[in-house]
Amino acid sequence: MDRANSSNCIGPKCKENSFYCVSLCPYNAIHIEPNSDYMVLGDPIWTPDLLLATWYQAETGESPLSIEYQIGDSGGGFDKLKFKFRKESSDGKEKENIRTSIELNKRSYGARIEISVPWYGAGMSFGSISLNMMLARAKASQAWNTFVSTGEGGYPEELVPYKDHIITQLATGQFGVTEQTIGYARIVEIKYAQGAKPGLGGHLLADKVTPDVAIIRESVPWNSLFSPFPFHSVYSVEDHKKHVDWIRAMSPNPDVLISAKVSSPTDVEMVAVGCYHAGVNIFNVDGSYGGTGAAPDIAKKNIAMPIEYAIQKVHRFLVDEGIRDEITFMASGGIRNAYDIAKAIALGADGVIIGTADLVACGCTRCGNCEAGRGCPHGIATTDHELVELIQPDWGAQRISNLYYSWHNQLVDILWRLGFDDIRDLRGAGLSQKYEEYGGKGLLQSG
Amino acid sequence: MDCVEKITRSREKLGHRQIPTYKSEAEGGCGVVGLACSTSVAGRHILQSCLQMHNRGNGKGGGIAAVGLLPEQMGVPRAILEEDYLLQVAYLDSSSRKLVEDSFISPYLQVDYAEKIPSLDEYRKVPGLEVRPPDVIRYFVRVDEDVLDRFSKEYSLEELGRHQVEDEFIYQNSFKLNQKFYASLGEKRAFVLSHGKNMMVLKIVGYTEQLIQYYCLGDVEANIWIGHQRYPTKGRVWHPGGAHPFVGLHEALVHNGDFANYVRVTKYLRQRNIHPQFLTDTEVSVLLFDLLSRIYKYPLEYIIEALAPTTERDFYMLPEKKKRIYKAIQLSHMTGSPDGPWFFIIAGNDPYKRQQQLIGITDTSMLRPQVFALQEGDVKIGVIASEKQAIDAVLKSLSDEDDRFLPIADKYWNARGGSHTDGGAFIFTLTDIKEDETEKELRCTDKFGKVVTTIKNPRQVYSKSSLTFEYPVDIVEKKLSTNSFKTPLEMFNRLIDFLYIYQNNDFLDLVDMLRRYSTRGNQEKSFAIEVLTLLMDRRYNIGDKRRSMMLTKIQQELDEIFSSTPRIGSDSNYQFIDWQSRNLLQSPQDPDRTLIINVEDFYPEGPDSASRFIVAAYNLGWKKVIAYGLRGQRFLGCGLGPKSDIRVDLYGSSGDYLGSGLDGAEIYVHGNSQDQVGQIFRRGRLVVYGDVGQTFMYGAKGGEVYVLGNAAGRPLINAVGKPRVVINGTCLDYLAESFMAGDPLGGGGFVILNGIRYNDRGEIVEQETPYPGGNLFSLASGGAIYFRDPYKLVTEDQLNSGKIVQLSFEDCELILPYLRENERLYGISVDRLLTVDGKKKTIDEVYRKVIPIPLKALSMIGQ
Repeated sequence: MDRANSSNCIGPKCKENSFYCVSLCPYNAIHIEPNSDYMVLGDPIWTPDLLLATWYQAETGESPLSIEYQIGDSGGGFDKLKFKFRKESSDGKEKENIRTSIELNKRSYGARIEISVPWYGAGMSFGSISLNMMLARAKASQAWNTFVSTGEGGYPEELVPYKDHIITQLATGQFGVTEQTIGYARIVEIKYAQGAKPGLGGHLLADKVTPDVAIIRESVPWNSLFSPFPFHSVYSVEDHKKHVDWIRAMSPNPDVLISAKVSSPTDVEMVAVGCYHAGVNIFNVDGSYGGTGAAPDIAKKNIAMPIEYAIQKVHRFLVDEGIRDEITFMASGGIRNAYDIAKAIALGADGVIIGTADLVACGCTRCGNCEAGRGCPHGIATTDHELVELIQPDWGAQRISNLYYSWHNQLVDILWRLGFDDIRDLRGAGLSQKYEEYGGKGLLQSG
Repeated sequence: MDCVEKITRSREKLGHRQIPTYKSEAEGGCGVVGLACSTSVAGRHILQSCLQMHNRGNGKGGGIAAVGLLPEQMGVPRAILEEDYLLQVAYLDSSSRKLVEDSFISPYLQVDYAEKIPSLDEYRKVPGLEVRPPDVIRYFVRVDEDVLDRFSKEYSLEELGRHQVEDEFIYQNSFKLNQKFYASLGEKRAFVLSHGKNMMVLKIVGYTEQLIQYYCLGDVEANIWIGHQRYPTKGRVWHPGGAHPFVGLHEALVHNGDFANYVRVTKYLRQRNIHPQFLTDTEVSVLLFDLLSRIYKYPLEYIIEALAPTTERDFYMLPEKKKRIYKAIQLSHMTGSPDGPWFFIIAGNDPYKRQQQLIGITDTSMLRPQVFALQEGDVKIGVIASEKQAIDAVLKSLSDEDDRFLPIADKYWNARGGSHTDGGAFIFTLTDIKEDETEKELRCTDKFGKVVTTIKNPRQVYSKSSLTFEYPVDIVEKKLSTNSFKTPLEMFNRLIDFLYIYQNNDFLDLVDMLRRYSTRGNQEKSFAIEVLTLLMDRRYNIGDKRRSMMLTKIQQELDEIFSSTPRIGSDSNYQFIDWQSRNLLQSPQDPDRTLIINVEDFYPEGPDSASRFIVAAYNLGWKKVIAYGLRGQRFLGCGLGPKSDIRVDLYGSSGDYLGSGLDGAEIYVHGNSQDQVGQIFRRGRLVVYGDVGQTFMYGAKGGEVYVLGNAAGRPLINAVGKPRVVINGTCLDYLAESFMAGDPLGGGGFVILNGIRYNDRGEIVEQETPYPGGNLFSLASGGAIYFRDPYKLVTEDQLNSGKIVQLSFEDCELILPYLRENERLYGISVDRLLTVDGKKKTIDEVYRKVIPIPLKALSMIGQ
């Protein structure tokens, strides 16, 4: 007998069908009730539906039919914003020419790098996630002509074949960063802060500092690794400029792009302008909705400014300063699906950075036990020798790739319905005059 | 009601308007410089140092202050210059002049002299200047007697000294002027730049060097100058009100950094009826300083304590009496003390004590770069700056014109913020020698009043009476010519036996002779370079000569030798290249050749930088490079790539991030180095014949490093892997925080801290303590520190997660080769290090070891 496959069940509304199993069962042995797993899954940001929808897309590459995949249940943020579409969906050929690529460098100097989709992968270090998971993300990034960041745990040799699609991250612990790993990269990311825990450095608790992790970070096994909260060499914007110059001086590639990742404090727009003057190519604001289970609860969602507010603030300020078209502005922190991506761009970002969604595609249930013991029971956020085998790189890459495929189709559809043929035209198009009135003039309304 | 309260009351009406408590400007760090000199110094010299720190500003704010001006240049008699308030008003809108004068000057002030200060007729003549600087009118004023009487009476200030009331009136009058013409209007028309006696402030939207050109300050002379390159991050600045310096009354302040508690400090001031008008950290800082000094009349030491409190272990190390006072100060002023990274340079005039001061104060956590320098020759000068090369630029500019100055200071040092040792602040005080003279006496003291001087006690210098023989220079030359010295080191060792009795001229003859010798051939050249380098790098008894003079001379001769080298492409062992000839760069005929690069004109960073050029030379096959003429070029040794095999020798002022990322190469720094040296250092070797700056080897992973002098704050923080470091001096604090370098006995990393210094006779002596800070090896999980501490001065309360243990046999075996190498490099003999009070001891008797203890917070213990 086959195992029950409840994911095919469409629930009580099946009643009208001729094959409704409940009424067909001769022994009245079947009844329908909400899946108990479903009841305990998720949280208001990542609702059970969003998790299921992400799994569905990762499995099939298609948008789910009966699961809510566009919006969560947080009552705020992206969940409060809706597009005012101008056209109905269409499957027609006219969507073929819609462009979703974005440029990562708008400066007069540095390499011209265009990614095919308006997102790339956020930094998740070796140690916080497994090598297999890193490889899965790298392969998917290569397939979609985009990037993924190493995080601050070093650059495993196995990633080198994908180096054209890998961003080397330099964070406050400077773990595993050498001239060699800087040299691999077309883009180097300086992580000043993380939206999930501004004011705290990266941390990897003792349990996860296995000998393998300790070797690549050159630290002591089974000792927690707390990165400093700031760069001790960067306490000001002119230090930051020097820092950026330093990375350029180390890199054998004179066209290397520099990205600066910051959290969203109240004066984030000043930070943006400071980054512009320091010569960075990509400015990344990380909002407060992101973060895995490893970020301390006290920090998560409690410190930084909501990302949807920060995006507009930064975008407008850069426009007012007359420098918007010289810097690529990426938003991150709680971007869960194609609709979030479109909303972030409509609020003023050029593109977004994806973290948790990649993990969910590979089976993450958002249980939040990323940091303790052997780590993730699903083999994602762990370096345990047995558990890591649960994710094979090719399998994971295919799952992530399927998700991206589905997102891409949805994005094209969104653009079509809004009347755009290029994602770059969507940037800032959702803005109204005031945040409270975003129902007003732009393409976005509160719902 | 006491006087303080009366003055505070008198200001009640000033702040009725709601003034925002948020900052209007965001800025991070900047470049700051200050100098105080016993003779008056022209503005063009500070220009050089501002140019050097061009990359610390972004052209959106430059400013200077000058204290101790020349009466003839100001167009007034000395009495007026010293007695009158020098009121400088910037007119952003020149049509507002009459209105300003009618409402705030003529009715209250007696103007003894007024003029528009000179400027170029057209601001566009200054290259790169985009915003027209304001017209500035300089007024020499006193408060009208009747006005002062009325003011005094209105607020019952009669019991205050007359001049104190007059000071207060000037302060309030300027406040009102700013309020009306600057702060309260949408349009900003005029504001007071400065109003203290015998001092002036100027500021523009642009770089400081442009300001000096525009206002024709090149020839204007003063005893104290401070300059500031601003880096505001809000764009489109069109008026200079937000630029530094800001003034209290008789003092001007420039600032590098950023407060976290701006709002709280503003509230603290507001409770005392002080209302900021320009809404920046810097203005708030100087208002605070003015409050503490002029109203509360605190002595400088207590003002510094109120700004940068002494905390943690440093507090407990203070004498009991100080503890009581400091505690009281902290209790009353903690809410008003600026929190975060900051470094202040203050130029002040005390017209009533007849002294002028230049003050540098660093925050308790030492989060901003700062260097102090002192030169005490025929004239004395103290310089404070963000970077050492900015100091060297001032000194070079001065020495080019006036041979009483040398291009190298007698002493360079860093302050230890909020410490019990120096208090994190140094003060250069100028006092009159004779009245009516510009020549003054300069004295440098720390926060506690302890004098810093480089003048040697002649008795000490000569007390060694073991002189056996002396070689005049011609004998030395003869010996050299007949190859009596087998190696440069042998020659050096013979020389130092008698160098201390050489007079200046003998020494000059000696180095000149070495230069001439170098022209005879390749072998002679390399011999001469090595001997001169040893004379420069090593410390030895030099008698009553000044080391700065000797270094200057050696540097000149070396530069001469370097620059007279045949051009690149010639068939010579040494080949020369510079900025003009850079396009001729080509591969060496064989890898044994040495490329000598004059890097003076190369950019400090970017594609045309010295750093990139060295990489280009290396990629073409050069394995030996000498770079000289450095003036703060950054990132030297960066970008050479993994497993690089090249030796680079650096002469001059090297810049930040030296060797950061180094992975195989060898770098020798003949002199001090700056901040961020050796970050993420992976492999290779770095030898510094002087001090290193902040965050030395942050995040390092390996390599072998030797430092002759001290390290500033946060050396080896977050280092992992297997770095092996010998520091012969000590560190300010936070040595090896979060050190994770495995087990030193199993291939991991460690630091050897010798805690020594040289006395005036060039002999090795112990520092007061091997480690003065309260944070040693904090939260470390791996590696070790071996520190020389024969008197057991370091205590467990300086540790957090470490413990002090006895060295094992294996430990001694491990560190001995590094001490031997240290001996080879610096001549610091292992025997001397192991000799305590004349008795030879064993390594484990002299050295102690700090190892990590597993912390519950860090490991799996208890889980």
